[in-house]
Amino acid sequence: MKLAGRGTPLVDGVEKVSGRARFTADLVVPGMLAGEILRSPHAHAQIVRIDTSRARALPGVRAVLTGEDCNVPYGVLPIAQNEYPLARERVRFWGEPVAAVAADDEKTARAALALIQVEYRTLPAYFSAQEALKPDAVLLHDDKKGNIEREVSHDFGDLEAGFKAADLVREAEFHYAEVTHAQMEPDAALAEYDPVRNRLTLQSVTQVPYYVHLTLAQCLGMQPADIRIIKPYVGGGFGHRTECLNIEIIAALLARAARGAVRVELSREQTFVLHHGRPETDVRLKIGLKKNGEITAVDAHCIQRGGAYASYGIITILYAGALLHALYRVPAARYRGLRVYSNTPPCGPQRGHGSVDMRHAFESLLESMGKELGLDSFALRRANLISPPYRTVNDLQVNSCGLPECLDKVEQASRWKERRGKLGRGRGLGMACSHYVSGAAKTVHWTGEPAATINLRLDFDGSVTLLTGAADIGQGSSTLLAMVVAEVLEIGLERIRVVAGDSALTPKDNGAFSSRISLMAGNAALQAAQALKQQLKADVSWDEAVRDALAKGGPITTRGTFYVPPELQGGKFRGGAVGPSPAYSYAAQVVEVAVDEETGEVKVEKVWVAHDCGFAINPLAVEGQIHGAVWMGMGQALGEATRYDAPHGLPANANFLDYRFPTMAESPPIEAYIVEARDPVGPFGAKEASEASLAGFLPALTAAIEEAVGVRLQDLPATPERILAELNKPKAKARATA
Amino acid sequence: MRLPDFTLARPRSLAEATELANDPRARIIAGGTDLVPNLRRGLEAPRTVVSLERLPELRKIEPYEGGLRIGACVPLARILEQAQLPAALREAAQSVGAPGHRNAGTIGGNLCLDTRCLYYNQSAEWRASHGYCLKRGGDICHVAPKGKVCRAAFSGDLAPALLALDARVEIAGPKNALGVKPLQDIYRDDGAHALTLAPGEIVAAILVPSANLRSGYAKARSRGAIDFPLAGVAMALALSRDKVKTLRVALTGTNSCPILLKGTEELVGRAADDALGSAISKLVQKQAKPLRTTIGAADYRRQVAAVLARRLLARLTHGDKQ
Repeated sequence: MKLAGRGTPLVDGVEKVSGRARFTADLVVPGMLAGEILRSPHAHAQIVRIDTSRARALPGVRAVLTGEDCNVPYGVLPIAQNEYPLARERVRFWGEPVAAVAADDEKTARAALALIQVEYRTLPAYFSAQEALKPDAVLLHDDKKGNIEREVSHDFGDLEAGFKAADLVREAEFHYAEVTHAQMEPDAALAEYDPVRNRLTLQSVTQVPYYVHLTLAQCLGMQPADIRIIKPYVGGGFGHRTECLNIEIIAALLARAARGAVRVELSREQTFVLHHGRPETDVRLKIGLKKNGEITAVDAHCIQRGGAYASYGIITILYAGALLHALYRVPAARYRGLRVYSNTPPCGPQRGHGSVDMRHAFESLLESMGKELGLDSFALRRANLISPPYRTVNDLQVNSCGLPECLDKVEQASRWKERRGKLGRGRGLGMACSHYVSGAAKTVHWTGEPAATINLRLDFDGSVTLLTGAADIGQGSSTLLAMVVAEVLEIGLERIRVVAGDSALTPKDNGAFSSRISLMAGNAALQAAQALKQQLKADVSWDEAVRDALAKGGPITTRGTFYVPPELQGGKFRGGAVGPSPAYSYAAQVVEVAVDEETGEVKVEKVWVAHDCGFAINPLAVEGQIHGAVWMGMGQALGEATRYDAPHGLPANANFLDYRFPTMAESPPIEAYIVEARDPVGPFGAKEASEASLAGFLPALTAAIEEAVGVRLQDLPATPERILAELNKPKAKARATA
Repeated sequence: MRLPDFTLARPRSLAEATELANDPRARIIAGGTDLVPNLRRGLEAPRTVVSLERLPELRKIEPYEGGLRIGACVPLARILEQAQLPAALREAAQSVGAPGHRNAGTIGGNLCLDTRCLYYNQSAEWRASHGYCLKRGGDICHVAPKGKVCRAAFSGDLAPALLALDARVEIAGPKNALGVKPLQDIYRDDGAHALTLAPGEIVAAILVPSANLRSGYAKARSRGAIDFPLAGVAMALALSRDKVKTLRVALTGTNSCPILLKGTEELVGRAADDALGSAISKLVQKQAKPLRTTIGAADYRRQVAAVLARRLLARLTHGDKQ
């Protein structure tokens, strides 16, 4: 291969580094109005009365909306739509939109907000799953008994026999703080309404323009054909923008009401409150092992504090159970999951969706059991490797697995055998494994359509226009798709123009989530390029081939699609649609730390990480994604945690100063190794490259901390005060001296 | 969040600046790294913002009575480049924010930093929901509800270094008044009114005396960049035949104003050993009074301040003991 497999700068990199790229908040259209949102000052309250008359009377105000103006609920899962763009009757978290204003400028809009009078009757508010689950708790949603959004009960294999066959059975409890995406770009949306034709154009920060399209049609009662969604440059997402955001609907409603264009821009605090991140999670886990380290049975319980609305909650609680599988051989497993409503911003998908907290619990318990059995961390993992083709007990089909090579790479690179246990007090090495899906085999909006479609256009100028709905949000998907096409057509990348994310031009795509684009849209691009190639004369120059082909019938458009083969679509049981993927990526990593026992500070000295992405179409982007995943895992492990304080549920640290993700100063040297266990389904064998490396960081870090100072953390993040508190416990002191 | 409306004044003389600033609703801006975020959050609504950018005399570093006179508008980035400045001051400047903050932020601005609190440094909507506090608009301190005083924390890094170095400040006032006072005199132990400066009074320069001191600054923070101190400790020390001749220790991040540790004069004459470290540590534990003003736990901040002080002594006396 000429191009695929070569490190290639992003096709839109120049625009980004030169500042020419225009993000949603940079967009300006003539006559554009400013949209501002009035938010709930309570965590839980009945809306008794809203009086907007004074706001409407203010000169310069063009539209004022409340929950009365949209009675259509929305939500990403068709089976769980219980959110309104503007609250109706009740508010369920602090900062929930209650009313919205469009005015000539921001100042007028804000002045109008101050004139809106809302009378509330407060209700008891719950900031933890335990409080919300109490028998006498007020229900957030009348149809959800016990404030339970979803209870999952999955049993695979013979659990009892599994534990009976074990030589060692151990159980432990873990707790994880809620974390959020903290993507660089705050949320924004620009809606333009054409009152003559009743047409709407929306540009926004979305990862999934298609879901936004469907939701706007639903909430505004419009024909999808009258709506156009354009995705400008997007500054990161990590799951925050996977479902339609309330401000996208609010901007559209305001634009229609004001019969013009309205831009809504959120502050960082408001972006934090839009959330959809990783929920606060409690895990209780029991594992059975044989003396040689073989897993015989797993019993996992998981409670997630889901926030005020459904969002992706059902999927998240299902993923936490489903991805107990497919990393190692697990012959029997019981999973009990509880997704609970609470008076906090709705949670949703975040990089490593559903798998991260459970993976920390699993690897941590495994590690401590290995110690009891006298097994080395690597040997323990090797005792449980999958050899493909392999079907898990919960019907996940694994056709490629590079985990053995990942283990070898990081074991050698970190000089694990020579150095583990020999670094001296205060320093430690830890390791862990993780994995992820390459796209969900079944989408939440099942239509029977292909999982991905790409169109290619070839015209007289000899350029190929690649049309895709796949959203490049910084991860490099447009570059990857262009590389696939260039590889097949044997032309330079400069001949290809990518048009991505404009519903008027590009074929529908399910968007950027679950690490689906490389495999799914990549395959569609491969097929579209092959279809084009068939129409071109071989063994002549590109220009001649183009002239010849167009002479036969004019400009050419080809289509490539990808369908997930039925055998990869998982089991038929309830909840079985979450977990199945065309291919699984794998990662192993070793983390080295230095821990200051007097201050509790942890310094990550170095990370060695190997990621099996099947085939690295663009190794430069793959490496960047691995670094990003490790870094994000490091943030959750070391310091990130949202906090909502009673009684109002106010976010204590909804800003980049107090929400403590690592800075460049903490970023350790990361040695990334690309492992390529080609998957039969992936384009050129490619699989997911940006999520699998995240989850393993957390348990590798806590294992390293344990080796350094004898403290085993089952509560994350590993803040200095938590480590110091653990060190001061008599138990830890005894362990340290032993 | 947009800036509120105000008049920006850019005087060309210090006298003009003090006249313009002689208004309770005027605020002074130098680097703006503290004021601008506060304005955006609606914490301040000044009528006039007086910029010191056109006063080149405030950007000079010059010899003065054997020591140095540092203009208030000297950027932090320049402080940390000046090898002739005491180590504590350079280390403190180096620990502020990130390179961008240090390029813009000034020494005078850092000394006059507004105090910070979890219940204050929030949006207008946030504070309206929670209820206002003593620092702005309310009559209660949310971190110490029984008290009558605001307990927001002073978080400047340079003040403890300059306190330990026994620095004085030149204050320019209306009608060409110019006074010199010890640095600690510009602070008071009240988070809502941490500066004693009257309207129209501007810190014009900092006078750092010459003294053959070993000095240093240590800062506890969540991250290696950006963060304000969870606790910061500065120390200046002179030894004579392994015995303490001079010792001054100052803290930041833990109280409503930077504090010069009391009781260090009683340690003069003692050997610079581990026992001295423990004694200083104990003074820090007693006098540091962190409260729930930030995300980090208060008790942790006190503990870590004591550890930093002990380590700082060890660092400054390293190599003297055999």
